[in-house]
Amino acid sequence: MGLKNFRSSWWHAVASWTWNAQDETCGICRMAFDGCCPDCKIPGDDCPLIWGSCNHAFHLHCILKWVNSQTSQAHCPMCRREWQFKGS
Amino acid sequence: MEDWSSSACNLGILDTLSNDAVQEIVESYNGFCAATETLLCGAGDLSVGSEFVADVQSLCKHGLESLVRDHFLRALEETFEKNGAFKFWRHFEAYGKFSEIGDEEVQEVLCKALEEISMEKQYQEKCLLMLVHALQSYKENISEGRHNSDAERVYLFPKYQLLVSSVLMATLPPHFPEILNWYFKGRLEELSTIMSGELNDDGEIQDKAEISLNEKSKVSYRVGQMEIDECYHQGMLSENNKLVKNIGKVVRDLRSLGFTSMTEDAYASAIFLLLKAKVHELAGDDYRNSVLESIKQWIQAVPLQFLHALLVYLGDSISYDSVSSGLKSPLASRPSSFYPGINTPSEGLVRWKLRLEYFAYETLQDLRIAKLFEIIVDYPDSSPAIEDLKQCLEYTGQHSKLVESFISALRYRLLTAGASTNDILHQYVSTIKALRTIDPAGVFLEAVGEPIRDYLRGRKDTIKCIVTMLTDGTGGNSNLSGNTGDSLLEELNRDEENQENIGLDDDFNTDDKQAWINAQHWEPDPVEADPLKGSRNRRKVDILGMIVGIIGSKDQLVNEYRVMLAEKLLNKSDYDIDTEIRTLELLKIHFGESSMQKCEIMLNDLIDSKRTNTNVKATINQPSQRGAELGDTALPMDILNATIISSNFWPPIQEESLVVPQPVEQLLSDYAKRFNEIKIPRKLLWKKNLGAVKLELQFEDRQVQFTVAPIHAAIIMQFQGQASWTSKNLAAAIGVPIDVLNRRINFWTSKGILAESLGEDSNEHLFTLVEGIVDTSKNGGGNSGSREDILIGDEEGEQSTASVEDQLRKEMTVYEKFIVGMLTNFGSMALDRIHNTLKMFCIADPPYDKTIQQLQSFLSGLVSEEKLELRDGMYFLKK
Ligand SMILES: [Zn+2]
Ligand SMILES: [Zn+2]
Ligand SMILES: [Zn+2]
Repeated sequence: MGLKNFRSSWWHAVASWTWNAQDETCGICRMAFDGCCPDCKIPGDDCPLIWGSCNHAFHLHCILKWVNSQTSQAHCPMCRREWQFKGS
Repeated sequence: MEDWSSSACNLGILDTLSNDAVQEIVESYNGFCAATETLLCGAGDLSVGSEFVADVQSLCKHGLESLVRDHFLRALEETFEKNGAFKFWRHFEAYGKFSEIGDEEVQEVLCKALEEISMEKQYQEKCLLMLVHALQSYKENISEGRHNSDAERVYLFPKYQLLVSSVLMATLPPHFPEILNWYFKGRLEELSTIMSGELNDDGEIQDKAEISLNEKSKVSYRVGQMEIDECYHQGMLSENNKLVKNIGKVVRDLRSLGFTSMTEDAYASAIFLLLKAKVHELAGDDYRNSVLESIKQWIQAVPLQFLHALLVYLGDSISYDSVSSGLKSPLASRPSSFYPGINTPSEGLVRWKLRLEYFAYETLQDLRIAKLFEIIVDYPDSSPAIEDLKQCLEYTGQHSKLVESFISALRYRLLTAGASTNDILHQYVSTIKALRTIDPAGVFLEAVGEPIRDYLRGRKDTIKCIVTMLTDGTGGNSNLSGNTGDSLLEELNRDEENQENIGLDDDFNTDDKQAWINAQHWEPDPVEADPLKGSRNRRKVDILGMIVGIIGSKDQLVNEYRVMLAEKLLNKSDYDIDTEIRTLELLKIHFGESSMQKCEIMLNDLIDSKRTNTNVKATINQPSQRGAELGDTALPMDILNATIISSNFWPPIQEESLVVPQPVEQLLSDYAKRFNEIKIPRKLLWKKNLGAVKLELQFEDRQVQFTVAPIHAAIIMQFQGQASWTSKNLAAAIGVPIDVLNRRINFWTSKGILAESLGEDSNEHLFTLVEGIVDTSKNGGGNSGSREDILIGDEEGEQSTASVEDQLRKEMTVYEKFIVGMLTNFGSMALDRIHNTLKMFCIADPPYDKTIQQLQSFLSGLVSEEKLELRDGMYFLKK
């Protein structure tokens, strides 16, 4: 076998990103997590997900709207447990 | 006796007459007849004059005036038949049916014949005048001077004139008008040659002997009276011109013989013939210069000059063309109405100018319409020809001629299987651009565009070509005429900015326009109006609208664009998307921001990817720090770049499994890990079959470079450690189905890098690395140095995304059974019937919601798969 050397001078790869969540859609707006909430135009960093202490995820904008609309203590729209932001 | 019959009613008088009286009457009558005979046939012998007068007066005394007149006129008629008409026509006998007549000869013969007959006529008129005097002096005697001295002449001369014309008309040989034609044609050509000698290239008039120059001749040729005034002042061709004089004399003689309208017809047709030839000569096949002005100039310089001079010579420049002129006595119509000092153009001349111009417009228009296809191919260089045509049509109002002729040219020349969809589209766009000059409201354009649109709807690649034409400045139209690489959208946008303030001319034939609107049931503006564009665009020709109209809806166009954009972006090896951003901005202007939302996110992904890519690579642990176990097979992170997409907003991606070389796999997982750290809780999912790879293959004797798809890289890298692979083993090693491998590996065999042979098992293909020997036939000769093959987007037609067509086919397949069932029952069906039936019956699971264009495109797919047949607009099952 002769002398040979095969190498790539660059490799331009393609990936998609996804939220590391159990569900695919937001329980509030019913839109895909990998899309964005109805108020946003651009998905990803601009329209992030947020987890509750109950481990349910929502679009940040959706849950904030929900929390703000509640007169008393807010509950998770999925499991009705008291809403706490995870880790807070 | 015949001669008595006219006074038969006076028979009663005979009883009252004495024998002497009868005797006197008989003698006088005999004398009168003899004198008449002598006079008329006597070749100028007027010596019998006094006897003649006495006999006439004697007969008058007996109340036989009408007998005298009738006899004399009859004698004139007989003599004129014999000495005038018969001899006159004999000159032309030789030129009977045999058409080719020498020009010189005709001129000579005609002049001679006219001279002869005019002399005869003049002589007869002299004789008639003698009778007039005789009758008149008799009447003056008996009425002692109270008699109207002119009555006899006024009565007799018109009768004579009528007699002359009647005799000639009754004996007219059928080819005489043609001889006149020939004569005038020859003279006009002669004149035109003289005049063109006076006109240099700029159309300026130079001074010459009989032609006087006026400085004003260089000024404008405005339409209207002024122009004609000027041509009077110029006096380039005076009535004293010898040629004009000769022609004038011929015309005058012909008129005096009663050939007034035949003569006018003859020179009119000669003028028109010459004008037609001139228009053809000036216009020719040159579309890059306007010729209308030169034609008008020529009309002004030659035929109008000629007519003016002729009319002046004939002395009826003002009364000319009045209805009675044909019957008027030539003696009565002489000079009275011409005043040399007054330069008012005659009504006749104005009318001539209008007739000639109309004819010229119509001739040029017909010429241009017949070549409209070529003119449009040559557009915009041919815009002077289009501008001319516009003016012609405004004058003639014959737009419908253009529509009919152009549609048939399109069918014959363009809408054929041999023409590429791109060519058809470009001609369509050129047609729109060219015709909107002529037809700013786009009414005729609508009719002309219809067959092109219909035809394009039947082609499968139409949408794709449209999108390419709209968005891609480099592809598609490969004509290298120095055009900038502007996309059509770019160009439309620029045009729109330029035209912002230009109003719409509305001055073309409104009736015609209305007729067309009614006839075509034309509805304006098929595209949804963009609020940004406002109402000013409502009535302008909307090029984009007419293009979208081919497809049916803008959504389809946007969808196709999205697929093409995805394809382009996924094959990029950098993040340079300036062109795409610009195109998107333009698309947003025309189709609205919300329609372009997904495309915007796709571009945004590229921008984000660039930032994230830099960030990931700047903060990742350098592979060199990772210890020795990876050894020198490890690759530096530098070589990896990634495009990270928001897949929900992209068209469906064709996912194929692929095992990439281990060092690359390591890079990918390091990269994904770092991404996850930075963007928690987001993670990356690699689409390993997508992207682009640049390879350097170093052999003993050569180095070659390729930019390829990852699967090609994965294949060839396997050969670094092992020179031969069976397709089965290789497919397993890179994790793809064997048929995919067999298809994609062709790339390397076609480049002469791998050789294919049959393995031990004859179903097995064996691929071996070609080393040392350079297969020149495949490499195109170069056996040293490096070369680079760019393989973006893949020459085997592999796509990263499902095409719109594929998507549609998938969606339509549900209906295929239904369509086959219908055709089994009905035998054959037209497109719209299939469409309507589907609409009626497929209301659920899934409901039929396709456009007729989508259906047509699907059906043409079935035709090309030979499941269906299309004949005369009807679909059949293929037997
Ligand atoms: Zn939401
Ligand atoms: Zn949001
Ligand atoms: Zn919960």
